[in-house]
Amino acid sequence: MAYEEPVKDYDKIVENCTCAFCGSNCDDLDILVKDNHVAGVRHACRLGASKIMEDEDQRLLVPMVRDENGELVEVDWDTALDKAAELIAGSIRPVFYGWSETSIEAMKPGLELTELVGAVIDNQATICHGPTVQAVQNVGYPLMTLGEVKNRADMLVYTGSNPMNAHPRHLSRYTTYPKGFFRRRGRFDRTLVTWDPKFSDTAKLSDIWVPFEENGDYGFCNAIRAVLKGKELKQDVISGIPKEDIYELTEKMKNTKFGALFFGLGLTHTLSKQRNIDIAIQLVQDLNKYTKWVLLPMRGHFNVNGFNIFMSYEMGFPYGVDFSRGYPRYMIGETTTIDLLNRRECDVFMVIAADPGAHFPGGALAHLANIPVIQIDIHWGPSTEMADVVLPGTFIGVETAGTSYRMDSVPLYMKKAIDPPETCREDEWIVNELLQRVKNIKEASK
Amino acid sequence: MTYIEKPSISNVVKFDDPDVTQVKKLKVMLNTGTDIYQGACKKRGSTLKDEYRKVAGVCYMDPKDMARLGVGNWESILVKSDWGEVVCYAAHSRDAPHEGMIFIPKGPWANVVVSPETYCCSDPTYKGIKATVEKSDKEVLLMADLMRDVYKKYVKEGEETEELPSLGESPVYKKIRSQ
Repeated sequence: MAYEEPVKDYDKIVENCTCAFCGSNCDDLDILVKDNHVAGVRHACRLGASKIMEDEDQRLLVPMVRDENGELVEVDWDTALDKAAELIAGSIRPVFYGWSETSIEAMKPGLELTELVGAVIDNQATICHGPTVQAVQNVGYPLMTLGEVKNRADMLVYTGSNPMNAHPRHLSRYTTYPKGFFRRRGRFDRTLVTWDPKFSDTAKLSDIWVPFEENGDYGFCNAIRAVLKGKELKQDVISGIPKEDIYELTEKMKNTKFGALFFGLGLTHTLSKQRNIDIAIQLVQDLNKYTKWVLLPMRGHFNVNGFNIFMSYEMGFPYGVDFSRGYPRYMIGETTTIDLLNRRECDVFMVIAADPGAHFPGGALAHLANIPVIQIDIHWGPSTEMADVVLPGTFIGVETAGTSYRMDSVPLYMKKAIDPPETCREDEWIVNELLQRVKNIKEASK
Repeated sequence: MTYIEKPSISNVVKFDDPDVTQVKKLKVMLNTGTDIYQGACKKRGSTLKDEYRKVAGVCYMDPKDMARLGVGNWESILVKSDWGEVVCYAAHSRDAPHEGMIFIPKGPWANVVVSPETYCCSDPTYKGIKATVEKSDKEVLLMADLMRDVYKKYVKEGEETEELPSLGESPVYKKIRSQ
């Protein structure tokens, strides 16, 4: 890449802002502000910087509603909110999906609205770490905070994830490179291991790369568990890995002082789904007979964990909670968004701070073409191409303050650096307005 | 350890490689997932632009597989699975070698060919999908055109999406445009 001059032309620096991109929630960003615009950002990775220095051409600035020709037309806030409230109040099986890129504060009225209309509330965990949550309910959660890993860990295993692409500062800020209290020499005191069929960008940096075959994660973890329990491996090659290598790796894992296993969507998206995570968690449990091992899912969005914690705290269930019977129900495969869409069940879809257009499989998205879609977002994206009502929100962490939860469940308060555009409204305000309007419609029809 | 040796990456597609026999259609395993270029472009919000097509509408392949099909970098290929078919660019993978495996970063292009089947686990199967790849002479569609072409939400009956004018690379604000 060409050398770029550092940004010198700015009015003020807003220090210690929290990054609103991935689950690492780096809270040391300095945002350079000029004329109420972000001129630059310091300390952020490529992903964080690109999000904070957003593309202003595609910013949603005004509420819009589709006309009879199927084109989006700008309207005032009252018209758009009334239209959205009317759709929600008149629906039988609405789904409110998203929430992972907004603050906990906006989720509160959202939950109230869900209860009022008997909707299904769900977040991005349903398409990423849903199986992880199920596995945690099955077999437990040997969790830690990232600070512990920084200060103590001498072996780090990444499996089914590629943090150099998805969480670029994870290695440098929390796990591999920083100097910790017991790991004074930083990277030199730690062993980095990657288990991945692909020679990913993280594998290129690792000391040990274990290229098990596609869908071989379950068999590989099982083999390590067997060796840990003193069993002899009967096959010469397991999941594409020679058995001598498995013995050697197991020995290394037993002889660490503090090990941490991080896993990503490579495990949850393959065929064994939550069973992959079950076995990974059980492997960590078995390793704890010899030494200290912990594990952590690599959560994607900055507040995807926050929604699961919020819902578990308020309703007892982490995601995919259905209120259609008047009380909360949680049934994986039945009350989760993709299954509802696959069965062509829902009749109004509200998406807030998410982009199903970019991330849902086509088979599920095809149903969104049949039903009205309400979108609350900040950018014109793939979902806008399928949305009937568009409500422009504000950017949490830059334009609006709010609370979010890091991947290790540490809550962080995200500061604001600039004022939002005049015509946009905070997510919390939008959801509150929808709640009031739906209440009015329900009362009037009594 | 045997697995400690890391492969050297050949960056060039060698069409005259003696190990390679030309084929019309290649059976592959499709994986999807995030990628730093796709992530940066998507979250910046530049999804309508040509840039997004270049980072998400691209299929990363092993250079040997590309030589088998006879496609170079940034040429169009057709990816077919049981769930749909999509035209995207071919590009050599920086994680090669992984013959018989292709990678499309998550996004509207990958969505067309991945499986919505959740097996009652809430999570669709985004990885490990059987697919075929062949050379194509069609142009890769921009995001807005692709969404219109695939899901046809606002296409009137009798209209062919291929004949409609492109929706372009910038948001269409009707009132601002008419002023």
